[in-house]
Amino acid sequence: MPKCYRIEAQVIEYVFGELDPSLVSDFESHLTTCNKCTRKVFAYKRVLHYVDEAEGEFIPTPIAPPDLEMKLYRRLAEVPPEKPSPLSQLLNTLTNLFNVFREQKVASICAFAFAVIAVAFFVGNPFNPITRYDGDQSVSADQRIEQYRHQGIQRSMDDVLRNKHLRNSDSWDTVSQLNRVKDQAEGTDWVNIAKKQLKSVRQNSDL
Amino acid sequence: MDKLIDDEMLVAQFKSGSQKAFDELMKRYERRIFGYLLRSVRNYEDAEELTLEVFFKAYRALNSWEPKAKFSTWLYTIASNLSIDYHRSKARKPVYMFEDEEVIETKLVATDISSNPEKNLEDKERGRMIREAVDELSSKQKAVFMLTRYEGLQIKEVAKTLGMAEGTVKIHLHRAMKKLQTLLRPLWENNEI
Repeated sequence: MPKCYRIEAQVIEYVFGELDPSLVSDFESHLTTCNKCTRKVFAYKRVLHYVDEAEGEFIPTPIAPPDLEMKLYRRLAEVPPEKPSPLSQLLNTLTNLFNVFREQKVASICAFAFAVIAVAFFVGNPFNPITRYDGDQSVSADQRIEQYRHQGIQRSMDDVLRNKHLRNSDSWDTVSQLNRVKDQAEGTDWVNIAKKQLKSVRQNSDL
Repeated sequence: MDKLIDDEMLVAQFKSGSQKAFDELMKRYERRIFGYLLRSVRNYEDAEELTLEVFFKAYRALNSWEPKAKFSTWLYTIASNLSIDYHRSKARKPVYMFEDEEVIETKLVATDISSNPEKNLEDKERGRMIREAVDELSSKQKAVFMLTRYEGLQIKEVAKTLGMAEGTVKIHLHRAMKKLQTLLRPLWENNEI
């Protein structure tokens, strides 16, 4: 016996007379052996019978609304035809273009390839765009130079302090280095730091 | 006009300036479209207005219409969309007004003098309950059911009309039948039908 879940989909088609004629006799022979499907067909036919009756009672004979033609032409005269908006015109053009591309596949592929080559030739290589600096664009060049200068002063100061520690008692080189840093740091807070360091070195050497 | 002329030929004639071609198309389909919309909205005046709207839209769009599907399918598409919009805008269950049905019946039904008035009333009530059950279907289920059952459209035509896959139409039809079966079961369990 065929499995019902495969046949189940055919119940609706059978009841609505839409089942492929080549499948009808198979389905009907299935009905002789399957109570579930038979019950379903019966139930659906019963539903359709009563709905048909109710709908037939609602509209027993097809009718047309009176004076439809006259009303239509009156309305057509009253309502001027809509002018297509620029957007709808654009959409129409694009749709038509798309339809042409869909129908003329080879031509559309050639046109697309040609467009890519043209872009590559006239504009630049579209597959290898120029890499751009993606850093913070709000920082100006001057600010960045100043930032680098501070970093340079800090490095120099680090060197002085490291060397001061290594030299231990020899203050002369340290003083000269600190003076260079002080000159380098002119206009920044590093000047004060350098001055403090110089003071401290001199005090130590006096001791 | 020759009835053997197919719809597409009439459309072509209309496009070349023949108003009579459109009149003929309207004559061919006004009953069917009105019947479909009347079943869909259950209100005579609204169905009349929507039918007018269908032909109005068809008239205005016919010049740019390309016969990719049958003309009737296109008309049913317009009608279905309008009907769905109608239900959406109403966002309520169709109200059965006795006057509505009376209006329809006075226009449609020939009086059967020999019939039993009591039985008639019972039948009327039962019919109303069944139609209410049909109106419980979702707008898509109802459209699929109506187009398949009462407009004589095949499943593939319904699919084109409603812009669905055939499988989706079958699913809607299946769900519609199951729902109707569930909703109507109390009626035959109580031996009312």
